[in-house]
Amino acid sequence: MIELKNVCKNYGLTPALTDVSFSVKKGQIVGFVGPNGAGKSTAMKIITTYTAPTSGSCTVGGYDVMKDPLSVRQMIGYLPETVPLYYDMLVHEYLEFIGQARHLNGNFKQRYEWVVEAAGLAPVLNRKISVLSKGYKQRTCLAQALIHDPDILILDEPTSGLDPLQIIGIRNLIRNLSRDKTIILSTHILPEVSTVADRILVVNEGHLVADGSFDDLIQQVTKRNSVYISVKAAKKDFQLGIKKIKGVEELEFDESTPRGVVGGHIYFPSKTDILPDLNHAIRENNWDVVEFSRERLSLEESFIRLTRSSSQEGGTA
Amino acid sequence: MNDVAIILKRELKQYFYSPIAYVFCIIFIVLNASIYMFHFFFFGNADMRAFFSTLPLILGLIFIPAISMRLWSEDYKLGTVELLLTLPIRTEAIVLGKYLAGLIFYLVGLAGTLTIPILLVFLGKPDIGPIFGGYFGAIMLGAFFLAVGIFISGFFSDQIVSLIITSMACGFLVLVGWQYVPMVIDGWIPGLGSFLYKYVGVTRHFNDIERGVIDFKSIIYFLSFTALFIYLNAKALERRKY
Repeated sequence: MIELKNVCKNYGLTPALTDVSFSVKKGQIVGFVGPNGAGKSTAMKIITTYTAPTSGSCTVGGYDVMKDPLSVRQMIGYLPETVPLYYDMLVHEYLEFIGQARHLNGNFKQRYEWVVEAAGLAPVLNRKISVLSKGYKQRTCLAQALIHDPDILILDEPTSGLDPLQIIGIRNLIRNLSRDKTIILSTHILPEVSTVADRILVVNEGHLVADGSFDDLIQQVTKRNSVYISVKAAKKDFQLGIKKIKGVEELEFDESTPRGVVGGHIYFPSKTDILPDLNHAIRENNWDVVEFSRERLSLEESFIRLTRSSSQEGGTA
Repeated sequence: MNDVAIILKRELKQYFYSPIAYVFCIIFIVLNASIYMFHFFFFGNADMRAFFSTLPLILGLIFIPAISMRLWSEDYKLGTVELLLTLPIRTEAIVLGKYLAGLIFYLVGLAGTLTIPILLVFLGKPDIGPIFGGYFGAIMLGAFFLAVGIFISGFFSDQIVSLIITSMACGFLVLVGWQYVPMVIDGWIPGLGSFLYKYVGVTRHFNDIERGVIDFKSIIYFLSFTALFIYLNAKALERRKY
């Protein structure tokens, strides 16, 4: 549906994107993650035909963004980071203008009613955009991106400025839309990507540094996994039982457990699965399990590791 | 609805919603009328020569830059340029829609000065030919200056900068059309002043039309330069992508 091949974009002498290639299949939700100035918005501007790549190619739905921009624009609904609104217009006037500009004609009324409902704009339809709250401005802009029922949605920071309830509402809307749409969304709120996106693209300093599912990314940055377990047992027996398990690299005791309970973090290589052997050890030693959990890196931690390691590579290169 | 008409309608609404636009319109009418009335009562001539002789400067330095300054600069400031240029509408149609909205607003302002010829008809027996010629020339002149203004507005996100640069550009076009300014330029660089006077200066062409001499060369001059700047505006916007 969307394909970028070796895309580079320079603003003057400053490179914004360097040799970025990826493709997005129909129906996928892709999260674009990266620090400020990483090149996320530039990539989105190229896909939406607002800006041209310095080199490389970008096709959307089979159309080249440079050769056939009007066909590309017809397929895309775009929410830019700047939230482009005409402050002198009423909300319904703005949506009517977008409907006309998107050539909706006979279909307009039906789409207008749907988008007003979906974006929760009914209470403010007759208000001037300049007096709307930030949340309503964001929703009005999201409505303009959805009004023509596009196949592809490009959302640059879609939940920026929204309160937690509104964020949940927008997340649900994106999830509902994902049934028949291809969506690329960028955000700084990292948990949002993990809850909505099927796939995450991490961009840093204009380079695509990671591409995969949430679990893939975590595996990419963690050399070893860990589990936490606490049981009712003697410390010595526990240590002996755990050390017997094949693949265990390290046992780090938890000193905060209550008397009679022993616990610790068990580290093992990311490609090894020790859980069956650990289960076996629990049964064999007749341990009463108090707490057991698989420990995972948060998205923030993996994001920091990914961007930091790519920056260091860039710095040493 | 036609793409040009969609943009035109939106832009026109924005003009008429804006109090600043009304202020400039009123200033234009009052300024023109007062300069003219002074001349009318002082010399007692029932013609509009004085009105049309000051019109190029008033249009070029104040009124047209005030109309054109927001055409693109405001979109850059609000970020709506990103919205407009990702709509399934050709850039040329967007430029034309914006340009025509500015032109219509200018024509409304110009129509406000029609009180002067109406007054003349009641008070005396003016020669209608030069008045028609003058208004025709004013339309041509305004259309040309507006094309220059929209082109310049396409480069700046600050409306005031856009206004000042347009004033300077239109002022230059007026000045090099006066006979003695090219003579001074010729003194510095021989031939340049005459070239500018003959091919670039706007005043000579406007004066021809205003006198009632409908010279096709002058009409072609206005139409071709107007079309050129509208075209250049669309090309410059496309070029911004790179």
